[in-house]
Amino acid sequence: MDDRIEPADAARALSEIGRRREQVIRRRIFPGWFWWAQAALSVALVACIESGRGVVLGIGIALFVVGSAVINLPVSRAARAAPPNRALTDPGDARRVLTVLVASITVLLGVGAATALGLHAAGVPHPATIAAAVASVLFAVGGPMLVRYEQAAMLRRSGSQG
Amino acid sequence: MTTPEFDELIHAPTRLSLVAFLAATTWADFSVLRDSIGLSDSALSKQLTTLEDAGYIEIRKAFVGKRPRTSARLTTDGQTAFDRHVLALQEIIAGAGRSVVAPGRPSEQT
Repeated sequence: MDDRIEPADAARALSEIGRRREQVIRRRIFPGWFWWAQAALSVALVACIESGRGVVLGIGIALFVVGSAVINLPVSRAARAAPPNRALTDPGDARRVLTVLVASITVLLGVGAATALGLHAAGVPHPATIAAAVASVLFAVGGPMLVRYEQAAMLRRSGSQG
Repeated sequence: MTTPEFDELIHAPTRLSLVAFLAATTWADFSVLRDSIGLSDSALSKQLTTLEDAGYIEIRKAFVGKRPRTSARLTTDGQTAFDRHVLALQEIIAGAGRSVVAPGRPSEQT
C-alpha cells in the first residue's frame, strides 16, 4: 500500500478516472437534427428517382450528395475531435453492436422493400417515396437508439473493469 | 504484467483528469480537452507541456484549412504510467480493506 495518500483520496481519484472515461463515451457526436436531415434527404432522393424524369433525378442526386456532405461535416469533425479508444469496448460487445447494426439495416431495407411492393401491388401512387418515408422515420428514430446502445456497451465494459 | 506504481505527476487533480480523458481516447483535440476538463487555454497548455516533458503525451499540431489544430494523445510510456497508477490506487483501496468498486481499470493500448 502506498502511504502517500489516503484510501479515500485513492477512491476519489478512481472515481474521477471513471467519470472522464464516461465523459468520452457519452460525448455527443450526432446532433439531434442529423437523423431527420439524413432521412429527409433520402426521401427526397427516392422521390426524384421515382419521378422518372432525368433532370429531376440529376438535381436530386446532386442535392443528396451535397446535402449529405454538409450534414456529415460537423459529425465527422466531432467524431475526429476525440475518438474513443477501441479498447473501451469488449470484443464480444463490439460484435454484438455490429450484429445489431447489420440487423437494423436489414430491417430498414426489408421494411422499405415490403412497403414499396405492397403499395405498388395495391396501386397506390408513389409507392417507393412512401416506403422511403416509412423507412426514414424508422432510421431517424432508431439511429439515436443504436448510438445509445453502443455507448451502453462501452459503459458496461467500463463499469465491469476494476 | 503491469505492476502498481503510484505516480505523483499523474495524481495531481488536473493532470489526473487530463490523463484519464486521454486514456479513453485515441487522440483528443485541444478544444475538446479544454472544454471537457474545464481549463483555460493557458492552464491546459501548461499541463500538456508538463506531461509532454515527462514523455507521457505526444502533441500534434496541424492545420485544417487555415485554422491551427492541436491534438494530444498518451504515449506508450504515458499509458503504462497511467495503468500502473490506477493499479496503485486500487491497491491502496484494497489494502485499506474497503469495499470500493473501482470505476475504471487501466485502459488498454490500441
